[in-house]
Amino acid sequence: MTRIIEVPAHLDDRSFDQFAAGFGGWPPEEKVLLDARGAQWASPYGLIGMLTAGQALAEANRDKPLFTIPLSDDVKRYWTRAGFFRYAGDLFELHGKVPKVSATGPSDVLLDVTPVRATEDVHEVVEKISESASRILHGELGLEMKATLRFSMALSEACQNIVEHAGTSGWVAVQAYTFRRRLGRRVVVIAVSDAGVGFRRSLEAVHAQRFGERWGDGAALEAALIQGVSRFRDTGRGQGLAFIKRFLDLWKGKISIRSGTARLSIVPPWDEDVPLSEHLPFFPGAQVQIIIPAQDAPR
Amino acid sequence: MIQTIRIGRLLRETAAAPYRNLVTRPTGAAVRSRIEETLARSECLTAFLDFSEIELLDLSCADEVVAKLLLAHLIRETRFLVLQGLREDQHEAIEHVLTHHRLAVAAVALPGAGESGPRLLGWVTADARLAFACVCDHGPLSHQDLARRLAWSDARSQGTLQGLAVYRLVRPLGNLYHPLPFS
Repeated sequence: MTRIIEVPAHLDDRSFDQFAAGFGGWPPEEKVLLDARGAQWASPYGLIGMLTAGQALAEANRDKPLFTIPLSDDVKRYWTRAGFFRYAGDLFELHGKVPKVSATGPSDVLLDVTPVRATEDVHEVVEKISESASRILHGELGLEMKATLRFSMALSEACQNIVEHAGTSGWVAVQAYTFRRRLGRRVVVIAVSDAGVGFRRSLEAVHAQRFGERWGDGAALEAALIQGVSRFRDTGRGQGLAFIKRFLDLWKGKISIRSGTARLSIVPPWDEDVPLSEHLPFFPGAQVQIIIPAQDAPR
Repeated sequence: MIQTIRIGRLLRETAAAPYRNLVTRPTGAAVRSRIEETLARSECLTAFLDFSEIELLDLSCADEVVAKLLLAHLIRETRFLVLQGLREDQHEAIEHVLTHHRLAVAAVALPGAGESGPRLLGWVTADARLAFACVCDHGPLSHQDLARRLAWSDARSQGTLQGLAVYRLVRPLGNLYHPLPFS
């Protein structure tokens, strides 16, 4: 038996729950086929979410999942240019022809899909993004110059969460695009995902007792993002997410973290998301999305 | 005696790569350990930690390098630590972690950078800022001198200077509070 999971035509943080629901109980007993033939678009969150699924299945010792690549040439090319197929080939048995796309120079892809396995990878990510971040954030989104460093700090802290807490590796991608329906402006999106233990299990030993019966994926996310707690007893820990939250408030940006069966968001005025969603379909690890919008009228 | 420790060089040596960005906790901890080794070999009373070759300083490294170093030296009451060559946008990370730990540090520009005098970063009261500036501007002061200059009560002046001394932001000698040697 093969479980066929249809990749939503537009795969992003909103449609991700539909994608996660396709797996049923985790890990699924059957061989899995991700059917992306009808895909028309995927956000960085969606792209690395699919890789996370492949990684989690491999780590659960399941058969290598199948993956049918999008029929649309444009979508195939874009996913290739974003670095998706560079890693998808290791995690999935690909069906369909992946185009050979040459490097196109500066583009909307600030950081193509990049694995985060160790501290050195975080260094490489930060070094790699510094020039393009300044070009997009200051030049295109109208943010002050020091926004570039704050942005790089946010990226560094988000990637370090994988190395320090996930217990396995993960993925990061950064892209600029236009949020037509939700905002009507350009945005930069950082997406970070891992297939690890998730926030609840990471924090459980130190913080579960204090929450009593309320303890769960949602409470763990609240503890990390709102209260700034960490699994480490070192009092200097747990400041990264609090700092990210502070400057996102300044820029009317958004952060949302999905882990296990819950998603917690700091919702800016332009978005209609709910702050906390619980009882979602389970998905392994943690998925973080940070959105920074242009500060003025769209350029 | 003053010793200047170039953080950029320590980063490159520690990471064995030409990195300009001081990021991640393991890197920060390794750089802090190299600073401690350097200080252990030195007889200096004041150490300048020179960040001028650092591009990005993330929160984890601000915590690992600056906050943990200050905590260790506050406990040991050994040296005076001063940050040098920080860019304006790097102050933010340091302010954030030091405020979290209720610590403070003095920061100065590189010689010839044309910036005004030393400033305090971190958990600092308005009184402490005024007293610190007064000691830096006028040289060694007793608490009575400070009280006269700022039109404060003796108790206020004494409490504030003692607070600065506890955080090793001024140097008490006899009944005078000396500024740290910033040049």
